[in-house]
Amino acid sequence: MTTVLDLQSIEKSFGAVRAVDGVSFDVARGEIVALLGPSGCGKTTTLRLIAGFEQPDGGRIVMNGVDVALREPYERNVGLVFQDYALFPHMTVAQNIAFGMKHRGTPRAEIPKKTAEVLERVHLSGVEKRWPSQLSGGQQQRVALARALVTEPDLMLLDEPLSNLDAKLRHHLRIELREILSKTGSTTIIVTHDQEEAMGLADRIVLMNAGRIEQIDTPERLYAEPKTRFSADFIGQSNWFEGTVRGDGADGTAQVDTPAGPVSIPLVNGFAAGDRIAVCVRPERITLTGPDLESTAPGQTRVAGTVDAVEMLGSDIRVWLKTANGAQIQSSTKYLGGPRPKVGTKAAACFNAADCILLEAEGKRE
Amino acid sequence: MAFARTSAGSRSGTRASRVNGVLLLPALVLFLPLLIGPLAVLLDESLKPYEAGRIGGTEGAELTFENYTELADPAYVHYFLDTFRIGLIVTLAAILLGYPIAHFIVRKASPWLAKLLIASLIGMLFLSLIVRIYAISMAYGPLGPFNDVSWLFGIDPRSPAKTELMVIFGLLHTVLPLVAITLISTIQNINPRLEDAALSLGAPRWKAFTSITLIMSLPGILSAGIIGYAFCISNLVVPLILGKGFVLFVSNLIYFRFSEISNFPSGAAISILMMLISLTIFYGLMRLVRDKNGEARE
Repeated sequence: MTTVLDLQSIEKSFGAVRAVDGVSFDVARGEIVALLGPSGCGKTTTLRLIAGFEQPDGGRIVMNGVDVALREPYERNVGLVFQDYALFPHMTVAQNIAFGMKHRGTPRAEIPKKTAEVLERVHLSGVEKRWPSQLSGGQQQRVALARALVTEPDLMLLDEPLSNLDAKLRHHLRIELREILSKTGSTTIIVTHDQEEAMGLADRIVLMNAGRIEQIDTPERLYAEPKTRFSADFIGQSNWFEGTVRGDGADGTAQVDTPAGPVSIPLVNGFAAGDRIAVCVRPERITLTGPDLESTAPGQTRVAGTVDAVEMLGSDIRVWLKTANGAQIQSSTKYLGGPRPKVGTKAAACFNAADCILLEAEGKRE
Repeated sequence: MAFARTSAGSRSGTRASRVNGVLLLPALVLFLPLLIGPLAVLLDESLKPYEAGRIGGTEGAELTFENYTELADPAYVHYFLDTFRIGLIVTLAAILLGYPIAHFIVRKASPWLAKLLIASLIGMLFLSLIVRIYAISMAYGPLGPFNDVSWLFGIDPRSPAKTELMVIFGLLHTVLPLVAITLISTIQNINPRLEDAALSLGAPRWKAFTSITLIMSLPGILSAGIIGYAFCISNLVVPLILGKGFVLFVSNLIYFRFSEISNFPSGAAISILMMLISLTIFYGLMRLVRDKNGEARE
């Protein structure tokens, strides 16, 4: 695999704010990478640095083996799709698409043919003569995509590509976008704050927080094996149990003493008796059982409590359990019919050692 | 822009147009006594024969076009040419100087600098016209410290052309802030990411600016030009004081006709003619604005 983009320790400050603080990652040819993070995490600045609208204070931006950090945007072969599409309102769809080709040296005679081809690729044939204002949001998005794709850029940058669309259309376009990008074989970076969008579109996710990278991983591993507390909290929902490792338990498990009671964890390298650790359990790994704690199997954890709140989501049902020490445990299960659990009934949250994600307790890493 | 949005709603349904008709009534009630009435009187006066020594045209005499035909004399044509020519020079200069100022304020200046500049532009407009005229007269006049500035334009300070330059300065002092303020809102309405998009599509900076921001500003530039031009060609005081009798506008001619030689019919005829020429020019420019706008927003 050839590397198209290699960011090396990029830094950028605005006044006293370190917007991007030592960011490094690479993107291979044909790969789709998502830059994910909350607003203000530096992902948009990173995008503007790659596009050339900003210049880094430090670090290298290597594209196809050449450092382009100080080059003008028009000297880099990068295609951009803006959040608000930024279609030229005084040009027709055809003129919008032709704009890049004219400046990138496509022979004039080939432009109409290429325009028709790229519009077909984004499933929007026959709109060449329309004005951008005559198109729906989804159609404008496709034109913006076509305008960037048609110049065959080395790298495509998509800034929150689906955030301006309504929920139904967003889901539909997400699948289509993935199909278009992989068919063209475009090397792509998608900037988004929406974890679903990142998970659904990307081969790899670069998770950012406060100008730094938290974790770079495939969507599956990011969800199943978060490396930091931020990763675990940002992607999906989490229940946290903090406590001290007590030592060996049965069948290759260990016990952790937590305020909610003892929790069984798998015995893995890196943690020894006496260590403070944080245990993360995803809501869908927690089942609700009766309040009887006697039947707890080896390697299983049961925490007793009362049903505090119930949320019906259609396909799923979410239940919050309040434990004796006042903590809340969230469980999420497929809804298979029947009445919902009553608020106030006694129950127990039940999960296995294998369902636990282990992280060092807060305060130790910093 | 007030001038740019006139085309909207021309094809609305009959019900809507009836409602619009009712809403227009207050405007019509004001227009009749304030605009149409006086203009009708002026038109009537312009068609009466002039009798020396008499205030107002001859009553009951046969109507005549004489007051209009005598305006074809080169001595009169010259007033019209000067007015429209100098107005055009001032308007073009105001656009050429005002656009970079507006662009700087919107795109480059820090928030506090932008506020300061906008405040000073508005402040310039609040200054009394007569105050600025005398300030310019003193600064750039024969005894002023900047008398020799005219050499920069290749003009001898002792030549009559210097007087024209003074009139241009005097008009520019009002028209420049007027045009710059109008252009600020024009440029503010253009999404800065459009230029970014052009850059990312391979256009160099100057090309991204001209093919996106500048072209999209054209309707606003035309609107600003119309406002500036209207101020110039209707001006009386600037040529009266700074023109020193060398440079006189049609407004001055009308003023002399009415006040100094009391030739009311001739004054009225010049007024009507001036109005017709101005309306033709504005109609043409506004069509241009509308076509430019309709293209993008239809």
